[in-house]
Amino acid sequence: MSIPDKATSLALLREMMVIRDFEETADKLSLRGKVSGGMHNSSGQEAVAVGVLSALDKFDVIASTHRSHHHTLAKGFTPREIMAELFTRATGISGGRGASMHLGDVERGHFGGNGIVGAGVGIAMGAALGIQQKGDKKVSVGFVGDGGMNTGRTWEAINMAVIWKLPLIVIVDNNQYAVETFVGRVTGGGDLAKRAEGFGMKAFNIDGMDVLEVRKYTSEARARALAGEGPTFINALTYRYYGHNVGEKGQYRTLEEIEQWRTTKDPIDRFIKVVLDAGYASQAEVDELRASVRAEIEDAVAFADSSPEPDVSTIYDDVDSGMLGVQL
Amino acid sequence: MEEIFVPALGMAMDNVVLLEWLKQPGDQVNAGDIIAVIETDKTTLELTSETSGVLGKHKYAVEDEVPAGDTLCVVLAPGEVEA
Repeated sequence: MSIPDKATSLALLREMMVIRDFEETADKLSLRGKVSGGMHNSSGQEAVAVGVLSALDKFDVIASTHRSHHHTLAKGFTPREIMAELFTRATGISGGRGASMHLGDVERGHFGGNGIVGAGVGIAMGAALGIQQKGDKKVSVGFVGDGGMNTGRTWEAINMAVIWKLPLIVIVDNNQYAVETFVGRVTGGGDLAKRAEGFGMKAFNIDGMDVLEVRKYTSEARARALAGEGPTFINALTYRYYGHNVGEKGQYRTLEEIEQWRTTKDPIDRFIKVVLDAGYASQAEVDELRASVRAEIEDAVAFADSSPEPDVSTIYDDVDSGMLGVQL
Repeated sequence: MEEIFVPALGMAMDNVVLLEWLKQPGDQVNAGDIIAVIETDKTTLELTSETSGVLGKHKYAVEDEVPAGDTLCVVLAPGEVEA
């Protein structure tokens, strides 16, 4: 796999570090009762988010899932505005109304996280239809988890994207557990790419712990979509290090299994090795990068904690017609 | 210094009660030891220490109600003194 230039590679590494630090910090704050409504930690899944989003244009559209912090950070939203949303403060992305599961901003091409399994693909398919009808030169990406792979709405949306040749990329952020259920126990046929191929689309099973592989497949899918060749399905195999939701007392997998993924397949450790081997940075420079990320996340927490609550007088804002004036 | 605290686990977890202390102030604590047991509206939870050290003061007594997120006690590393 060819390695991007130095500036790009270091940006990919830094973004993955930002996600990891943000998630581990927010996890602790959630346990302390600082995050309204709980949250889902994406630690371990950084390469999927950064690999996909780094291959897109800033005007491309995404729709996410209940686990959306990593997608949102990689889309270019700041730790400050996301942390503030987790704290339900007025300075948050959604004005403090949505918390962890409703991060999004239509004007910036993020059609939101949501709490409905598999909904992201349907939302992204609708956005892709809009893009096609307007003749825009951009694509739409729908994230879905392995749990959403056995949900009817996902495949209805995929089927429409195929028959209409929509510029849609479906990314399975496959962390292998639908809450507590192992994907291998509940997936008929076992091979998700083959299932998608049955719908008549290009489909791939890839290593979701390798940021460069995710980036390459997404980039190729985007080029096909822009050329009018229709949707692509990418099943990125990854692993979440923490429970489904913060505070979960999981007994459905072994500590050894988690440790095995963390120590041998970690997307950040693997990419640090790539960066070191390419001579793009020394170990000391990697450590400095990590320290700068730590400072940025600490700043985000301080910003969120000192931000005001939404004013009660704004309670009806955004309830109606607010989205009608927005151009895709 | 590690803080042993009541984790906020539910959407609205009220009425957490401290059921039992398994370690006393000054006791040696090993990583993984159960320090206290709490009862929420849904379940009982054992709170364990991630680090080894010496237990600090009990900030709550058995049968006290404790707000989610509050610290019950600290585990002091060698050389550390409780504030």
